[in-house]
Amino acid sequence: MRLAFYALTSCEGCLTTLITNLGPNVEVLWKMFDIDYFKLVREPVGGTKIPKADIAFVEGAVVTDRDRRTLTEIRKNSSFVVALGTCASSGNIAYTASRDVDFEAKHLRDLEISPAEPLSSLVAVDFELSGCPVSAEEFTEALLRLINSIEPIQPDFSVCYECKSRGNPCLLDAKKVCLGPLAMGGCGAACPTVGSACYSCRGPAMEADLKAYLLTLEKKGIGKEKALMMLRMFTGKKAKELLKDGR
Amino acid sequence: MGGSSKGDVILDTNELRFIEGHARLQVRMAGGDTVAEFQNLEGPRFLTKYLVGKPIEMAPMVASRICGLCYTAHSINAAEAIERALGIEVSKEVRELRNVLYLANNLRSHVMHLLYLTLPSIKGVISVLRLRDKDLYEAGTRLLTKSTELIEVWGGRSVHVPNVVVGGFGAVMNGRQLVSSVHELEGLMNDARRFADYAIELDLPELERYRPLGSLRNPGHYPTYAEDASMVLNDGSLLSSDEYYDSITEVTKYYSTSKHAYFRNSELTVGALSRVILNRRHLKAEAKAFAERVEWRMNPFLIIKAQAVEVVHYMEELIAAGQRLGDIIVEPSKEGVAAGVNCSSSQGEIPDCQGTGRGFFVAEAPRGALCHACEVEKGKIKSYKVYTPTAVNSKSIELDAAEFVKKFRQLGVEKMRYILEDMTRAYDPCLSCAVSLDIY
Repeated sequence: MRLAFYALTSCEGCLTTLITNLGPNVEVLWKMFDIDYFKLVREPVGGTKIPKADIAFVEGAVVTDRDRRTLTEIRKNSSFVVALGTCASSGNIAYTASRDVDFEAKHLRDLEISPAEPLSSLVAVDFELSGCPVSAEEFTEALLRLINSIEPIQPDFSVCYECKSRGNPCLLDAKKVCLGPLAMGGCGAACPTVGSACYSCRGPAMEADLKAYLLTLEKKGIGKEKALMMLRMFTGKKAKELLKDGR
Repeated sequence: MGGSSKGDVILDTNELRFIEGHARLQVRMAGGDTVAEFQNLEGPRFLTKYLVGKPIEMAPMVASRICGLCYTAHSINAAEAIERALGIEVSKEVRELRNVLYLANNLRSHVMHLLYLTLPSIKGVISVLRLRDKDLYEAGTRLLTKSTELIEVWGGRSVHVPNVVVGGFGAVMNGRQLVSSVHELEGLMNDARRFADYAIELDLPELERYRPLGSLRNPGHYPTYAEDASMVLNDGSLLSSDEYYDSITEVTKYYSTSKHAYFRNSELTVGALSRVILNRRHLKAEAKAFAERVEWRMNPFLIIKAQAVEVVHYMEELIAAGQRLGDIIVEPSKEGVAAGVNCSSSQGEIPDCQGTGRGFFVAEAPRGALCHACEVEKGKIKSYKVYTPTAVNSKSIELDAAEFVKKFRQLGVEKMRYILEDMTRAYDPCLSCAVSLDIY
């Protein structure tokens, strides 16, 4: 089976996470599969050409024309495309941050830069592994399912679920804005565990209920402006969809 | 890519392999002169722009996303810049723990760069997994796994650490818990030695070119992260960190998605080689012994050996820090504890902050001096700048490439292309980082 790993516009933190967190298992992957493209790990098969792959993992948002061309080629040549990480699944911070940039400015036009988009704005995406960064365990699980022809699944619980099971005090009770109730879990509630608010870096939970969340904030006497700002940060294009539905 | 490229291309690397981000190097003849263009092809993510108007507490978290390899450096520098803008004092213990995180991150980044990105091409194999020296791959993997684990224990996650916040740390940091993870490092010293030994014995091309070198100087110590450090140059002059900051100008390049950062309107080479050349007497004992085996010259390929020496140094530093950590307990930053002149913080949140000021911070990130600067107005970020080492080194990469092609044109394009690609890679450029010096 052929795998390929690509990075579009990103920090490459997701691909790096796979390398460092899989540790010695990178070698297992290498032996089990034909990895034909993974710029940080091997010289690509076929040079600059995008090779045929059974599963392509794509990190990053679509920002440059180069990204667009690469992604179109990836889609054409791959049977199954996985959006790897939040840049790929929602556009991440770049999505919101690029909405009010003047893209008609000459140097941006010359360099073929456009507002950031998630992969799904351009091509059909078969599965999303969210997270900023992505989790190596979730990657492994998804891969194991895929090679056994089982549909991969996303966590069906919110960050709150994991946060509570770790016994953390609730930040909302401390009157701090925390997006835990809206956010897709799977991260082990990494941020609230060290006392920092959840910014929903993996996008909305499956049953995210914005209306109920805003009501909770109101009951607790927490202003909603900051929450909405935070929601637009990582959740990018998905926040837009959520906010539209929530109104 | 558009733009008004001038002159005939005599050498084009196409997209560089084995580097962080997307870039290419082109060398052309223009008006009888050989000029090189180091083209960043990575798209901007508008992160520093995003920070404008946002609450100050968001700076470390957003800055972290600049890079997937040196995120800890970015988030610590962001926290420091904000603290300086607002006059927030952090304790000695917080500094000690930040230093440890910095060291672990630099270690991880160097091992990743040497093992995965640099060695395969120099050894002529398609991947580190095809390296004949199997034990080297295993040693490197153990170092990589361990340094990642250290960052996870202290930072709250292995990549994009949420525990680094303005004012200190989000969670209680108990030195005793950290000591055991540091102790395990002692068992990996042999791996670090093996790694350094291997890199130091590499046969590398000669490409010497005189140029200004810059490294932070922390009196009595090898520079990494320090409360206050000045910049030393190879002409012996010393600049305070604000003089260094003021000497940088941003230059837009029509061929690159990121600006270049010029020092005194020209080049400056920062990074491991500059650090070793200018500060090697402060290396820890074993690292120093390794350093003595190399004849240090201004050859960018020697960055590889300098990084290998630093791998040993960072290990020694971490082990030494472990011995000091045992008694440290750092409370989460909260009201009253990390209270600044203008603002107080509560586990990284800084409610009702009305503080105003400017701040900046420089430290030695894996690839060289990394500078974050911000202006804060009434608790909100008014402007944010990041000068990354890759943006500074871009000019040196271009000058080296031009010089190389001038000298060795008789080698033919194919051979030159490979050597130039290796040379650029030796600088350990990070294009994702560089692109945060925005052109929009």
